[in-house]
This record gives sequence, structure tokens and C-alpha cells, in this order.
Amino acid sequence: MKIWLREHRFALAEAVRKLIKTPGSFAFNVLVVAIALALPIAGLTLLENIRPVTQQLAVEPEISVFLALDTPADQARALASGIRSALPLASKKSRIEFIPREQALENLKEKTGLADALTTLGQNPLPDAYIIRLANIDVAAVDALAERLQALPGVETVQVDSAWVKRLAAMLQVMRLALLLLAATLGVVVMAVIFNTVRLQVLTQREEIAVSRLIGATDAFIHRPFYYTGALLGICAGTVALAAVTLALQPLNGAIAEFARLYASEFRLTALDPLIMLMLLAISATLGLLGAAFSVRRHLARLP
Amino acid sequence: MIEFQHVSKSYAHGVAALTDINLTVAKGELVFLAGPSGAGKSTLLKLIAAIERPSSGKVTLNGQDVGKLKRAALPYLRRNLGLIFQQQRLLQDRTVLANVMLPLIVTGASKAEAQQRALAALDKVGLLERAKAEPQALSGGEQQRAAIARAIVNRPQLILADEPTANLDRDSANQVLEALKAFHSAGVTCLISTHDEQFLDSATRVIYLRQGQLIETWRKEAA
Repeated sequence: MKIWLREHRFALAEAVRKLIKTPGSFAFNVLVVAIALALPIAGLTLLENIRPVTQQLAVEPEISVFLALDTPADQARALASGIRSALPLASKKSRIEFIPREQALENLKEKTGLADALTTLGQNPLPDAYIIRLANIDVAAVDALAERLQALPGVETVQVDSAWVKRLAAMLQVMRLALLLLAATLGVVVMAVIFNTVRLQVLTQREEIAVSRLIGATDAFIHRPFYYTGALLGICAGTVALAAVTLALQPLNGAIAEFARLYASEFRLTALDPLIMLMLLAISATLGLLGAAFSVRRHLARLP
Repeated sequence: MIEFQHVSKSYAHGVAALTDINLTVAKGELVFLAGPSGAGKSTLLKLIAAIERPSSGKVTLNGQDVGKLKRAALPYLRRNLGLIFQQQRLLQDRTVLANVMLPLIVTGASKAEAQQRALAALDKVGLLERAKAEPQALSGGEQQRAAIARAIVNRPQLILADEPTANLDRDSANQVLEALKAFHSAGVTCLISTHDEQFLDSATRVIYLRQGQLIETWRKEAA
């Protein structure tokens, strides 16, 4: 165990020593890998910021059924059974709430502060309404249900309120998948860059490798510094990419704040959670390690 | 200690480097391999260190068939050998001391132990004061002595030196040879290839090779 640790310490020191010896090429490689990593990290930051917004919104489709203004109150209340029977079998547990026109007016006065203006109207302009919070229903089935409800006697308008949230959630799912594909593609790019960097190192250190073999170094001993080189490149590039994305949030938030204010929102992009950042660094280090491992196995085997 | 049984070696392009070599070297011997360039001296040494594999025949070292060793076993064979080359093959990007420490580091020795033993080895070849120098700052003879220090730092049972005095002036060559003889006196078996006839006067055993064939071998009887 002591020898194993000692060998790893030596390999790490060798890797650092060689990277420091060529600072220009090291910095360039870090930059190239960081650019490749920054794109998926930026995408992930965006998704992580949007996710809580969508979670706050109800994702159950909601239907508002507005009755004709001249519908008698008892007929309006009796419509509940007609609505329930129009629901698909799987959605029978949906919540149906009746909002009488008087209550609707009170709510409006309370929430908008337009009480005085509404009083001047003389009569209540709001109809009786039903709010249906649908359970276990397909987005596709919502439209069919809306049509059935529209056909009920006394119904003036049917408004599907929450389908857009479902659509947004579906869109986010597509974005997540696209991000995953982008990350996978750029992961391959990162590995290719590190593969090539390590290949060049193997070529420039050919003599050292040959001498090491002649003095009794095992393959593991010779390979190890290259593995550390790959992992270090990955970690450094990951750090640069995370820092770049985090710094880019500042000017972006300036523009977003303006936009969000128009919708009375306080929405801001925030940096990724430190735990996620650590996980991303581990992934970039692993990508570097894998790129180096493929390169070392391929190119060292060819050396005498 | 070393035995060649009907060993032949041909390279890929069909050139026969060695043909039907039969040879035995006992433990503690100092053997010179002589012959013109291209005679097969280097190939013979490479076969012992398993840098090359025989095309036919058997090379054994302490009873072990080195030609059949698996790749993973080679480092452990070489840790018991001291290899010295015509080109010193010192690593230019580290100090002389770091070069000499390397064979110990690869075996898992601690830095302190490796440094102590490397300094002792450099002392034995008279290079202690150049320990911190870069190899390119050393003369050819000093570089070769540094290479000898690297070869003996692991206290090998056998030293294989391939033309260690080539490209050196007379004084430097003598110093290198004296260093090798000192290790032989300490009980290390030495095989030294040379095409410099003048060094053979001091040899106790000489093996002549020509065009890959062993043509003559002689021993000087102990006085």
C-alpha cells in the first residue's frame, strides 16, 4: 500500500512537472477542452434554472368552464353531474370546483383592487364557472374533453388553462435529451483532444519510456503519469469552463432582469449547485483519464 | 549463470545477426565480447536482457529461459541487470542524481532511500560532486560514468555493457573501464562488448564474434 501510494505520488509529480515545462501548450489544450465543456455546462445551468420554475407551476391540466350569463343558479349547480359524466373513466377522481358568479366578483375585487371600478358597472359581468383539475389524463385527451364540455347545455366557453405547462415540460424533456446528446458528442471531442495531447507526449518522451523499460519499469509505472496528465487536463479545463459559465451569468442576468420585470418576475439565472459542479469536475477528469488511457494503450504498445 | 544453446537471431529483413551460438558465462566472470562492427555483439547482449528474442535456440539466465519470458515479467528480470549503452541514454530533462535514482524509484523505493543509494553509486564512480548537474553539462566520460552509476545502483548480479568506451578519449575510456572492473572485483558478473583491442589485454576472458558467429574464445589463467 505504501509503495502503491508512493508510485502514485511520483506519477502525479511527473505529470505536473511535464505540464509545467510546456505552459503554452498546456494552456492551449486546457482552453480547447474548456470550450468543449463550457457548452454542455451552460446548457445544464440553463435547465437547472428553468426546472424549479416549471415545478412551481401546476402540471395537471386545468379546465375552466364558463356558463352563459343567463343560466339560472340551480341549473348551473346541477351541471356538476353532467361535467363529471363527461370525464374519461381514468379521470373520475378529478376535482370539480363550482365558482358562483358572486364569488368570482368578490375574488376579482379582492385580487385586483378594482372594487370601486367594478361597483360602477352596476351589475356583475362575470358568469358562473367550474374549475376542473384533471387527474390522470393525457394532454391529447384534454382537447376532446373540452369539446364534450362545450356541448353541455348552458356552457358558454371552455378554456384549457394548463396544457401549456405540460407542453413546456415536454419541451424541457426534449431539451434535456438534446443536452445529453450534445454532452456526449462534446465528451468525445474532449477525449479526442486529450488522446492527441497524450499521443504527442508519448512521442516526445519516447526515449524516456525506452530507458524506463530497460531499467525495469513496469507498464503500469510508465502509463501512470500519462493517466494523471489526462485527468489533470480534464480537471483544469472543467474548472475553467465552470468559471467561465458562472462569470457569464452576471451580464446575462442584467438582460434577463429587464425582461423578467415585464412579467412581474424576479427570475435570475444562478450558478450550479457546488455538488453538481464537483460532479462535473469528476466527469471531466474521467473523460481526460479515458482519453489518456486509450492513447497510452494504443501508442505505447507500438514503442519498442 | 548465462547459457546460450544453439542460439540464432535473424531480423525481419532476413539479416542473420547471430548464428548457432553456444556459450556459457559463470557467475563472477568478467567477459569481453570482441569483434568488428556488425559482428553481433550488441545482439548477444540484447538477447540476455530480453530486449530481443532469439529466432531459435535458448538463452538462459540463472536457469530461466529469458527468450520465453512474458512481457509482464521483463521488468523484474531487468531490475537484476545493469545495462550500459554506447550512447549513455541519460534523461536530459533531469539531473544526474535524478537519473541515477530512477532505477530505484521504479522498484518503489522511497525518495530518501533512492537519493542516499544514488549518491553512494555516484561516489563510487567519482561523480558525487556532479550529482546536481544536468547531463549535458558533463563530458562524455562523465556521462558514461553516470550511466554506470545508474546501472549499478540497484546492486545487479550482472552488468551488460555495450561498447561503453566508444566515442570516449583514452583517459575517459580508462576511467570507465576501471569503474567496471571495480564492480567485477566486488563479485558482479560483467559482459562488456568492445571493438577496441587495447582493452582486451586486461581481460580474463574474451569471446570473438564475426558475422554473427562465435569464432574464438580464450581465457587468461589466473596468476
